[in-house]
Amino acid sequence: MPTEFAITYSTQNEYESLVNGAFWQFLIIPEENDTQQLLDWEMKSNIQLDQNESVNGLGFKSIHAHTKEKFTKADFKASFRVQKKSSNPFDFIPNQNWQADLEEIQSIAFRTVNEIFLRKTRFTELPSDFTTIFPFNANKNVFENLMALNHWVFVHLFFKVGVTHVDTPLQEIIEKRHGVCQDFTHLFLAIARANHIPARYVSGYLHQGNGYFGDSQMHAWAEAYVPQAGWVGFDPTNDILVANDHIKICHGLDYSDCSPLKGVVYSSGGNKTSHSIEVRSSQQ
Amino acid sequence: MKTDPTNSLFSSYPQKTELFDEVFEKDGSTKAIYEKLLCLYGEHSIMDYVNLNNKAKSSFFNQGITFQVYDKEKTQEKIFPFDLFPRIIDTDEWDIIESGAIQRSRALNLFLQDIYHDKKIIKDKVVPLELLSSSANYLHQMMDVNPPGGIYNHISGTDIIKHSDGNYYVLEDNIRCPSGVSYVICNRTALKRALFGVFNHYNAYTVTDYAENLLQILESVKPHGVDNPNCVVITPGMFNSAYYEHSYLAKAMGVELVEGRDLFVENNFVYMKTINGPEKVDVIYRRIDDAFLDPLEFRPDSTLGVPGLFAAYQKGNVCLANAPGTGVADDKAVYTYMPDIIKYYLGEDPILNNVHTYHCSRPNELKYVLENVDKLVVKPVDEAGGYGISIGNKLSKAEIKQVQEQVKKEPRKYVAQSILSLSVHPTYIDEKESFEQRHIDLRTFTLLGKDSEFVLRGGLTRVALQEGNLIVNSSQGGGSKDTWVLKKDE
Amino acid sequence: MLARVANNLFWMGRYIERSEHIARYLNVNYFSSLDAPNELSQSRQFVLRSFLFMIGEPEIDPEKVLEEEKVLFNIGLDPDSYYSIINNVKAARENANGARDLISTELYEAINKFYHFVLNYNPEYFVKKGLYDYSMNVMERTAILRGKIRGTLLHDEVYSIIMLGVNIERATQIIRIINAKYHDALLAQGSYGDKMGNSFEWSTLLKCAESYDMMRRFYRKTPNIICTLEFLVLNGTCPRSVMNSMNQVSKHLHELDLDKNPKKNSSAFLAGKLRSEIEFMNVEDIEQDVKLFIQRILEQLYNISKRMEEEFFKY
Repeated sequence: MPTEFAITYSTQNEYESLVNGAFWQFLIIPEENDTQQLLDWEMKSNIQLDQNESVNGLGFKSIHAHTKEKFTKADFKASFRVQKKSSNPFDFIPNQNWQADLEEIQSIAFRTVNEIFLRKTRFTELPSDFTTIFPFNANKNVFENLMALNHWVFVHLFFKVGVTHVDTPLQEIIEKRHGVCQDFTHLFLAIARANHIPARYVSGYLHQGNGYFGDSQMHAWAEAYVPQAGWVGFDPTNDILVANDHIKICHGLDYSDCSPLKGVVYSSGGNKTSHSIEVRSSQQ
Repeated sequence: MKTDPTNSLFSSYPQKTELFDEVFEKDGSTKAIYEKLLCLYGEHSIMDYVNLNNKAKSSFFNQGITFQVYDKEKTQEKIFPFDLFPRIIDTDEWDIIESGAIQRSRALNLFLQDIYHDKKIIKDKVVPLELLSSSANYLHQMMDVNPPGGIYNHISGTDIIKHSDGNYYVLEDNIRCPSGVSYVICNRTALKRALFGVFNHYNAYTVTDYAENLLQILESVKPHGVDNPNCVVITPGMFNSAYYEHSYLAKAMGVELVEGRDLFVENNFVYMKTINGPEKVDVIYRRIDDAFLDPLEFRPDSTLGVPGLFAAYQKGNVCLANAPGTGVADDKAVYTYMPDIIKYYLGEDPILNNVHTYHCSRPNELKYVLENVDKLVVKPVDEAGGYGISIGNKLSKAEIKQVQEQVKKEPRKYVAQSILSLSVHPTYIDEKESFEQRHIDLRTFTLLGKDSEFVLRGGLTRVALQEGNLIVNSSQGGGSKDTWVLKKDE
Repeated sequence: MLARVANNLFWMGRYIERSEHIARYLNVNYFSSLDAPNELSQSRQFVLRSFLFMIGEPEIDPEKVLEEEKVLFNIGLDPDSYYSIINNVKAARENANGARDLISTELYEAINKFYHFVLNYNPEYFVKKGLYDYSMNVMERTAILRGKIRGTLLHDEVYSIIMLGVNIERATQIIRIINAKYHDALLAQGSYGDKMGNSFEWSTLLKCAESYDMMRRFYRKTPNIICTLEFLVLNGTCPRSVMNSMNQVSKHLHELDLDKNPKKNSSAFLAGKLRSEIEFMNVEDIEQDVKLFIQRILEQLYNISKRMEEEFFKY
């Protein structure tokens, strides 16, 4: 039975001094894939905008908007209707053990194809003191190890808003043991990649109602490559596998590939930005 | 005319016979190709020469062909040192250089095409995966992007030296934004003005056809569906040290020289702001680095680039030359695999030699390097401009130790090569008011278009002005010489 | 042509023209005051104050004794005063740099040589002995630049933009010089029975505009306020007159904007309006209230320039 979601993304940007022209990129359109279908969308603003659909560096749909107007306040409100088929992440026959998985993920052909999602980035490089913080169990297969990792990250970090920011290094997150979904995800990615498992950062919307963390903000989770299954979504912030309540926008190496709003604004002085998200579902 | 053995310009030329001199044989006699030239220069006294040299210098200065030197007190303008005594390359040798440079450019282009698509060369284990995975210059945004015309490295600069064995060796490939071509043309102009009588006696190729060929190459990679492409050159601005070159190329091609702020992107097309409103831009010869091209995709603090430019490029609506992400292939570690890369893609043997290279990432080669630092040139793999290079036979014991420590710490960051003996050329030394031997190399410029290729017949001969020095980069105080490539006798 | 580059060319033209007028003002006033017919016009203080008035930084304190060397350095070679000749030349060259791919090598080389000349001029020598040499050189080099602009560039939009800058600046500077000399004449009137209308300052004014000889040829009499103003403002055959400058401005604007009937309040419209106003003005109207006339013209020139910025140079 497909579920229809109505998603609203809104952001308010206030600038200290008059802005004389701006160019924004929004990475907020739900991806179209086997389980997701985008029915329609629109975006509105309080300022006169030229907007068009474009792509980001990894080919995901984005919205480019620019204006020649002068302003100090720019609000945007976008709404999407998405139809989502239900899926079961356990619906595959895994390899029996780590050794069988290893043969696949260590082959040169496999590593070559997935090389970029094995890279250490500044957000996903495990600090040298912590390389053994979560050792994989050679008696389990990749999927079991990743589920254990998902749970471990959930337990190790405490969800806390406002203590970290977009540039907080992984070292600090591991040591202070708190953060938001983005930090949970980076830690998951760092450990998975250190164990030769390709893993990527996913940005998306989470349907609320089940008491999950991160429901009124843009959500983030990880996708890791599981032999025999392909890319499987892990949500370490909530200790669950990604299934029917996650609506994916895009993926990348880390947050910097997936930031929902990037902009070039011709102005001096600071600015204040706030975001909010609402996801409603109606069973069809 | 006969050669005058008491030629005043060269009568006190201190010739070290252990060096490979391109003009004089070991017994002091003149090589055939230079005989006429020496005879003609012999008509000038050293004072004449000093005079001509000074005039040529002030002509460079007045034309503003200068770079800035920042001092505590004020910024000073300086000219790039150049030498009025040209280097001559004969037809047969040039044929090797030219075909070798084209071969390398084509192989590099195929390599880039491959590593941003199927990565067959890695799957076939010709080059190791680590070459990519550890390269900071590999842009994952370029994966599966198809540049218009299928070309990545439209403009390549290949640095070549002549070794004491008489053969040419490639030192490195530059396929990001190789610079220096404007100096080739300025050197020629200066030399023709100062010594027009000399130039007449040789049948050398012109170098002024570079710009028209560049424009042709740029037009050949126009986006799909464009008839008459609008090409521009983009520069970081007038404070960039290569601004003269940027403005020269724009002027010589007759296209606009733009800065990032002159362009904007609308609906995934690029436009420039003109006095008559927006005008679409189709091909951009970019002289700004990858990281600064588009603040939305690369460095967000870049004010030199254009927001949305990369999306327009991905959509195929604009061509960037060179393509973003070419830097991965001029990494010094990739250089060491060039013979294999050429064979893999072209099925040919390399025409130009590579300098034998030791990879510090391979344990047994690392061992050799650590034991032989004094006999090797050790280079970081990702630095341009001659920085961080240590030349073994010039190091003290303490310095050798320091190099060993550095290499041991991050072996993957270093490669080592045998110390080559670069050829020398008689070069006028200002302070001494006489000619002396100085080491030289040659930067060639190769253009690759959709169905055409071109090598500038001349190139930039760079001179290491300090006695005994082997590093010729202009950022390290190098000078340059006009380079004559002779036409075949008819 | 790129809007930014057009802006560079426009200001290159303006700065070249501006440095010339400042240099000539210094030269003419300093040297003609030496043998001026009255004591006040001869006085160093009077001349130095006139310099400061002309460049727009008048000395307000009537008691203050100005030091000649300081004032000369300040206007001629001080890199820290925005109006100095050296800064105008620097700005001209910087703007030329920004448009380097569009102008001829010959023009660029001449500007570059000019820049190195002022940059390397010894300030010590300048304030003690070099005023004549320096100012003559600046004037001659700007004449060379004008020749290179006319003789080595295509007479297309690049040329039009530069000439717009040159002519708007020329009209502005001529008005400013008239303003300064009118001010001087007011101060000097009465001393030794010199009447305002026949002041010695009118001859100086004409020389400041390089128009003395031609004015004598045209009127065949000693300059007075009426014929001086008439010649410098209204006479279209005088190459330095406001009339001539506005004719040029209108012509070049028309070349850029081929609209036969320029839109209301476009730069072509504003320039055409000012041009016709001057064409049908008579000198008696001006003389009635010179100050008001000056103020109005400067305002209109400023508006034309501002409007051009919006129309052509926005980037």
